[in-house]
Amino acid sequence: MVSTPHSAALSPEVIKPFLAGGLLLALIGLVFDFQGARQWWSAPGVAATPSCEAIVRSDAQLSREQLAKLLTVPERGSKETIREIVAEPYCRMASLPVRSGVTAEREAYPLAFDPSTQLIILYENDEYAGYRFRFQ
Amino acid sequence: MGFLGWVWPLVVGLLVSLGGCRHPEPPPARQIVLEQSWELESGDRVAGLWVTGSLGDVSIALNGGRLRAPFSGRVELAAKGYRCIYFSTPDVPAYLFRFCGVTQPQAGSVQAGQVIGRGRHIHFATLRRQPDGVWAIVEPSDHVLKQSLNQPLP
Repeated sequence: MVSTPHSAALSPEVIKPFLAGGLLLALIGLVFDFQGARQWWSAPGVAATPSCEAIVRSDAQLSREQLAKLLTVPERGSKETIREIVAEPYCRMASLPVRSGVTAEREAYPLAFDPSTQLIILYENDEYAGYRFRFQ
Repeated sequence: MGFLGWVWPLVVGLLVSLGGCRHPEPPPARQIVLEQSWELESGDRVAGLWVTGSLGDVSIALNGGRLRAPFSGRVELAAKGYRCIYFSTPDVPAYLFRFCGVTQPQAGSVQAGQVIGRGRHIHFATLRRQPDGVWAIVEPSDHVLKQSLNQPLP
């Protein structure tokens, strides 16, 4: 039997490398995309929490000295004590009820020596409740 | 050796190495000191059966549904309790949220709304850090719980 040019082009010897290459790429794609697919599957059903509700002072920053002083204030201290150290915040975040009957107020201060990091201060009933750093 | 002869070891090796990179050792479970101490707590056993919730928990019939991160933050496995995880976030300093009865927990950094686990009955507690560093279970509002239970929009 004489093979035609068309059948020679589709012979297994010619197709196999393409199949193997395609399979290899598909497998690599699957491995890389698996995590992405999972992320997509678990995509947020609620809107992401907005960071800032209102900008209070766009140039507000916290120096090392202010931060060091702030960290010495015990929790449950008054809001005024904190304000004497850090002044007005960069922004005010949306207040939210975490505990029943208590509204949590949150204010954010970028660090002067690392502006990509913010210090979030929490107040409850005008009492200083705590802080955390947020890395962006 | 034919083309396929050397391609398959390459594929297998690549998959194994990539798989290894994506499954590091799980981080150690988080241990905290609770202000309250009760005789029966989540993770104890009574008559050979698990105690799955305790005083201070709000229990929700999730019916196998998804539990979601209420904010962007971090999920850690709890050292104590029945299938418990802790959720913490820089958006809410001084608080820790505990969910027990969680299956398929997704430990690590998570985005707001991301699935962090599933469960038939979830037991939720809000913990507030005290000045001495211990954690106290406090009465929660429904806000954080709602954020954790909201299902994807149709």
